[in-house]
Amino acid sequence: MSEASESSARQLATDARDRVRFEEEALDLSDQVYGVARRLVGSREEAEDLVQETYARAFRSWRSFQPGTNLRAWLFRILTNLNIDRGRKVQRTPDLQPLEESDYFLYNKLEESTTDGTPDERRVVDRLSQNDAVTALADLPHDFRDVVLLVDLADFTYSDAAQILDIPIGTVMSRLHRGRRMLKGTLAASATES
Amino acid sequence: MSGFAFDPCDKCEQMMQPYLDRYLTDVEIKEAEEHLDGCEYCRKRYRFEVEFRTFVRQAVAEPMPPELKAKLRALRTPL
Repeated sequence: MSEASESSARQLATDARDRVRFEEEALDLSDQVYGVARRLVGSREEAEDLVQETYARAFRSWRSFQPGTNLRAWLFRILTNLNIDRGRKVQRTPDLQPLEESDYFLYNKLEESTTDGTPDERRVVDRLSQNDAVTALADLPHDFRDVVLLVDLADFTYSDAAQILDIPIGTVMSRLHRGRRMLKGTLAASATES
Repeated sequence: MSGFAFDPCDKCEQMMQPYLDRYLTDVEIKEAEEHLDGCEYCRKRYRFEVEFRTFVRQAVAEPMPPELKAKLRALRTPL
């Protein structure tokens, strides 16, 4: 084998090793990717499609990933971009509690409903239902939901979320704040209705 | 005490979110903690916010279907 072809063979082997490592690391994150994807779309089937598209694209464009940077953020960026490309369904703007309500609206509301003298108010959240939480999250306008999912579910920092969604940090903070507040407003309404 | 029509602690509401998200400077964290030490209402709400987040995370979590994992593995580049 000539020196040139030997070195190119070595290069190929290094390449293959890097790619395998990249793919394995990306696959290790698939539970988290699915968890967020599932809440980005309406059904399990759509979520599965979205995750498969995400990984197909990630594996195809692995060379554009800069080793040593945040692979998780890189993957979630593909996920959120694909979700936007898919064309989000037109959403009604949910009829929520007025946003002038404070962040503690839900807390106050739940605490208020504990008038039976229950001394243990530490677990006010126990009165919330799991289904209501899923619905309330699904009803959030998508811009707000994206941020809430990235920060509250996937544990991204404000600055990672800003990079993933390509928006300023200030926008992340305000959407997060508003999104969480809407979530609490909807949950407060369902908790006190029942 | 329950059911405030208006937030009695309007000022710290602004700090609660970045405090929960660990997005404050050391000075601001100290300020927030000093306030929490002296304000039972905010302390209760802080505890509530932490629990609320845990609740939402758990409520909306759905494990990945195992067959999807296999499909994703199949997308890897063949060696």
